[in-house]
Amino acid sequence: MVKSPSKPECAPAILLRDVTAGYGHQLVLDSVSLVVGRRESVAILGENGAGKTTLLRLILGLVQPWSGSIEIEGKAVESEADRRRARQRIGYVMQGSVPGKLPISVEDAVLLGRWGKAFSYLTRPSKQDRAAATRMLELVGIEDLKRRDCRELSGGQVQRLNIARALVREPGILLLDEPTTHLDRNAQAALVDLLRSIRQTLGLAMVVVSHDEDQARSLADRAYRISDLALTLDWGESACR
Amino acid sequence: MPLIEYLRYPIFQRALVASIVAGGTFSLLGTVVVTLNLTTIRFALMHMALLGAACSLALNQQPVVGAVVAIVVGSLLLGPLSDRMKMDAGLTSALFMTGSIAAAFILFYRARVPAMEAFGLFTGSILAMTETETWVILIVGAVVLAVFVALYREIQLVLYDRELAKLLGVPAEAVRNGLLVLTGLAIGLAMRIVGALLVDAVMLLPALGAMMIGKSLAQVLVVCSVLGILSASGGLLLSMAVDLPSGASMTVVAVMALVVVATIKSILVQRRGVRDE
Repeated sequence: MVKSPSKPECAPAILLRDVTAGYGHQLVLDSVSLVVGRRESVAILGENGAGKTTLLRLILGLVQPWSGSIEIEGKAVESEADRRRARQRIGYVMQGSVPGKLPISVEDAVLLGRWGKAFSYLTRPSKQDRAAATRMLELVGIEDLKRRDCRELSGGQVQRLNIARALVREPGILLLDEPTTHLDRNAQAALVDLLRSIRQTLGLAMVVVSHDEDQARSLADRAYRISDLALTLDWGESACR
Repeated sequence: MPLIEYLRYPIFQRALVASIVAGGTFSLLGTVVVTLNLTTIRFALMHMALLGAACSLALNQQPVVGAVVAIVVGSLLLGPLSDRMKMDAGLTSALFMTGSIAAAFILFYRARVPAMEAFGLFTGSILAMTETETWVILIVGAVVLAVFVALYREIQLVLYDRELAKLLGVPAEAVRNGLLVLTGLAIGLAMRIVGALLVDAVMLLPALGAMMIGKSLAQVLVVCSVLGILSASGGLLLSMAVDLPSGASMTVVAVMALVVVATIKSILVQRRGVRDE
C-alpha cells in the first residue's frame, strides 16, 4: 500500500495506484503501485521485455492504463489535456536515441527540447531559450561543442546531449531509459557521475530504468524489479515513509 | 543567338522563372526525401502517374489529368498506409511502385490503351511548359517556401527524431504527410521540367550536396536552394548557349555542382584531420 508522505520534499512527484496496463490484448503490468518523492531517485530493474519501458511510457502518458490511477506532482492524470500538462514537467531520455541523417547543431538539438513549453508554432526560440540551452550544455560538459553537427559526436557526447535536451524543459521529473546502453566502460562511469551530480544540483525526482544492478545502486536510493507483470521492491527503502 | 536575345521570348522567360522557382524550392523537399529514407517515393509516384495516365486514356481523357490525380492520391495515401502497416514509407513506396505498374500494364492490355502515349508523360522539357504550368510551379514553390519558413522548428523536429517530436506534442504524422503531398506535387511538376528520369537533378542532387556541408537545417536549406537554382537555371542557360537538351543540361550542372561540393568537403575534412593531429 502507498503511504502518504510526511515531509514537503517527499510530496510525491510520481504516484501510481494499482495500475494495470498493456498493448492490445497483451497484459504487461498488473496492479502496479509506485511512489517517487520530489527529490528521490528510483531504479527499475528487470529482464528485457519485462515492462520497464512500458512503466516509463505510463508515467509519460504515452500508454494509458487499463485500470488504476496516475498522479504527477499531485495532479491526477486522466484526460489527454492532463497528459500533455504532465509531460511539460517530465524530461525523458529515450533508450538508444542516436542522431539520424539530418545535420543539426548541438545547440539546436537541445533547443528543440523547449518546443511546446517556451516556443511553439510560428514563434522562435528567444534569447532566454538559447541561454537555457547553453546552461544545460555547460551542466553536461559539452558547451564547447554547441556549434558542432550532432552527427559528429561520440556515443557518450550524444547521451550528454540527450540529457541536456531533457533538462532544458526545466522538468521536475527526469526519466532515463537505459542511459548507458552502447557506451564503453569509461563513458558509462563518466555518465553515472554526471547523473549523480545533476541529481544533487537540480534536486529532481529521477526514475532510471536499467538492467545493470551496480549502476542502479550508484544512481538510486532504492530499486524495484519488474517480474511476472508485478513491480516489487528489490532493495533500499524510501526516506519519505 | 546571344543568350540575352533568347530572353526576349516569353517561352524562355517562363522557362527561366520556372527553373529559378523549382530549383530554389523543390530542392528543399529533397532534404525530406533523403532524411526520411524516401528515395523510392519518386519512382512510386512516377509509376502511379503512369497508372493515372492509363486510366485517363481508357476514359478518353487527357493523360496528364489522371497522372496528377494519381500523384496527389498516392502521396496522400503513402504516409497513413505506412503507419497502418507499420512499414517504413520507403518500403511502402516499393509496394505502390510495383502494384501500380502492374495495374497499368493490365489496363494497356485489356482496355487497349496506347501505351506509348501514357509513357509520353515521362518525357518533359522546361521549354515546352505552358503559362498555366508555370503559374502552378510558382504557386507550389511559394507554398513549399512558406511551409519551410512557418514550420521550420516542427519540420526540424520531425526530420531529427519523430518519436521525440510526438513526445513534445508536435503532430509528427500530419507534418510528415503534408511534406509527402508537397513532395508528390513537386515530383509531378519536376517531371514536366526535366522528364521523369532526371527528376533527381532538381530535387535530390542539391539536397545531397547541401547535406554534405551543412551543419544545421538552416544551412542545409540555404545551400540546397542555391545549388538547386544553380543547377536548374544554370543548366537552362547552358543548354541555350551550347544547344543541348535542357533536362540533360540541368542534370549535368547538378552533377558537376555535387562533385565540386564533395571535393570541397573532402579537402576540409583532410585539413581538419591534419590540424587535429
